[in-house]
This record gives sequence, C-alpha cells and structure tokens, in this order.
Amino acid sequence: MAAAVRGAEELELLERLLGLPGGNKYGVQGERKVPVLQSNNGPGLRGLMTIAAHLVRQARKEQLLGSTAEEKAVVQQWLEYRVTRVNGGSSKEDTRTILKDLNMHLEDKVYLAGNIFTLADILMYYGLHHIMVDLTVQEKEKYLNVSRWFNHIQHYPGVRQHLSDVVFIKNRLYTNAH
Amino acid sequence: MGFGDLKSAAGLRVLNDFLADKSYIEGYVPSQADIAVFEAIAGPPPAELFHALRWYNHIKSYEKQKASLPGVKKALGKYGPADVEDTTGGATDSKDDDDIDLFGSDDEEESEEAKKLREERLAQYESKKSKKPAVIAKSSILLDVKPWDDETDMAKLEECVRSIQADGLVWGSSKLVPVGYGIKKLQIQCVVEDDKVGTDMLEERITAFEDYVQSMDVAAFNKI
Repeated sequence: MAAAVRGAEELELLERLLGLPGGNKYGVQGERKVPVLQSNNGPGLRGLMTIAAHLVRQARKEQLLGSTAEEKAVVQQWLEYRVTRVNGGSSKEDTRTILKDLNMHLEDKVYLAGNIFTLADILMYYGLHHIMVDLTVQEKEKYLNVSRWFNHIQHYPGVRQHLSDVVFIKNRLYTNAH
Repeated sequence: MGFGDLKSAAGLRVLNDFLADKSYIEGYVPSQADIAVFEAIAGPPPAELFHALRWYNHIKSYEKQKASLPGVKKALGKYGPADVEDTTGGATDSKDDDDIDLFGSDDEEESEEAKKLREERLAQYESKKSKKPAVIAKSSILLDVKPWDDETDMAKLEECVRSIQADGLVWGSSKLVPVGYGIKKLQIQCVVEDDKVGTDMLEERITAFEDYVQSMDVAAFNKI
C-alpha cells in the first residue's frame, strides 16, 4: 500500500496550494497522530480540520469553505467524514464503504459541495490519494463517479503538486459492470 | 465525432455515456465547448441520464459567466466521442443546390462571427498586455577589479568602486582574492537593471579611478 499523505505533509501541501508563504511548524500528537500547529503567540491549533480552516482564512480564500449556508454545511460534513472515516478506516472493508459512499454522493455532483471547488475536495483528494493509487482498473471503473471526480481534482491547478498522477483509462473496458 | 442529434433521446444517451467519466466536454475546466453543447440541448436531460443531468446542472451554474469562459466555440460535431458519426451538418448532402447555397452562406456568417470573436480576443489580449507591468530584466554581475601593484590601498579602491551610484545599480558583497606576488584583486558583486545600466558604463566609471584601478573585467554575468 502506498504511503498515505497525512498530517504535517498534507498541511504543507495545502499551504502551498493556498499560496501561503509557509514557515508554519507542524507536529503530531498522540497515538492517532493528530496534527498540531505550533504558534509563537498563544496555544497551538489541534486537528486537521481546525488547522486547514485556519490556513484557508489566513490565505483569505474563504470561498473554499463554501459560500452559501448549505455549501458550508456540506464542506464541514465531508471534512468530518474525511477525518473520522477516511483517516480512521484502513481495512479493505472500510475502503470499499468509503468509495461506495463517495460514488453515490458524486453521481449528481461535479465537486463534493456541488458546483464549486472547496476545501473538502482538496483534503478528500489528499486523503484518498493512497487509496486511488492502489485501485485496479476494474475498481476505478466500478467507482466511476469517484474516478471522474478524482481525475478532475488532480488536474485542478496547484492541487496535485509532487503526488503521483493517478492514471485513468479513457475507454471503459467493463461496460456492463454497472 | 459528435453526439448526433442532441434533441433526441439517442443523442442524449451518447452525451450521458461520454460524460460518465468526465466533468466537462473538454479538459478539466468549463469552457466554450460546454456552452456550445449546453445550448444545443433543449432542456435538462431526464433523471435516468444522471451523468448528463449532473453536467447540465453544473454548466447551468456558470450561466452568468458564460461569455468569459475560455476556449472558442467550434461546430457541435467537433465535440464528443470519436466513434460516433457527426450528423449535425451532414444532412444537406442529399439535397439540391439551393440547400447547398444556403449552407454556404451559413458558413460565411460563421466565419464572420469567428473573425469578430478573434478580433475581440485580440483586443482583450492587447488590453491585458498593456495593463501588465513590464517585467524588469535584471542581471547579477561579478566584477574583477585589479589594482596597479601590491601597494595600492584596496580598502580605498573598494570605497571608490562602491561610491559609483546609478539608477538601477545595487552593489553586493565583495572579497579580496589573491592573484600572486602579494597582489590582491577585488571581486565585487552587483545587481543591475539591464535597461538602465550596462557593463560598458560600469567599466568606464570604475577605470576612471585610475590612481587605484589598473583594469576591470566582468567575471560572471547572469540574467536573473
């Protein structure tokens, strides 16, 4: 299994994507390796969602947290899903459930929050990268909506950075599988 | 290429299949390709064609900015899967001359439209270009300044060199490098704006201190 993008590394990727100057110090805490942002003044921030939202505000790209109330809620929901389910689960069974959930959700959506690109897409992309790399061609086709979304996000300017480009075959091979 | 007749159920089905693994008609951003196909569809596709419907709703959300989306509109037949025959312009083949004439004039109109579009784009590009501040070309130059002999006061020499001031010229670090027989040369870094300061001018000004400077060379010249 490919190494997962986690914690500090992921936040550094996000930092670069947001065009922040960097220089933040990240650490990890506890058994589950919760990322921590150390700051010079006051207590540090704990947790992926908290730090990510902080960075987005710092970069003044609040639209990444959603514009309408519904979008904001959906972004929150998927960030929570990302932290609790994608980070939490590691068995084959968990992975299947995650992909199935996402596949259903993305059937009628281009981005996780509907029609706009948000933080949820970014962090879900980083969280799923190691899973997608290992999928077989057949699985990629089975979770077609996830594949389409993933391929879209990895081509979104600035998102992929040094992560490997996951290849999706243009012609479907298993046309009657779904 | 093409989707066939997008007003028919069969055409929509082709579009649906095409969009199953794509977010947009072309590439990874909404473009005029999407608008062209969007406008060719009578209304929202039926719910069972959920890929087409998802795309339709997404493109609809760009309706207000549709003129500013990138790309140039092409004929409908240029989009879509490669293995479907283009039927959007082929129907006139079997008809008589009148029809062909009509088609011809249609073509002309289109080219005029394309011309207008091109001109618009050119104007847009020009205005964009003029707004963009010109990039200032800078170079980093390493100069070797050689004194007359070992009795030349190198500190004074450096002071003289650094006293040269010009618009677009910034002196950097320097060091003394021994060349032999106790003689040292001054190696000094400077950054210049290419348009304002040339090496000729630098040489002229530096060799003007003829009490101290025997000669001057450009050791390295790098564009930044």
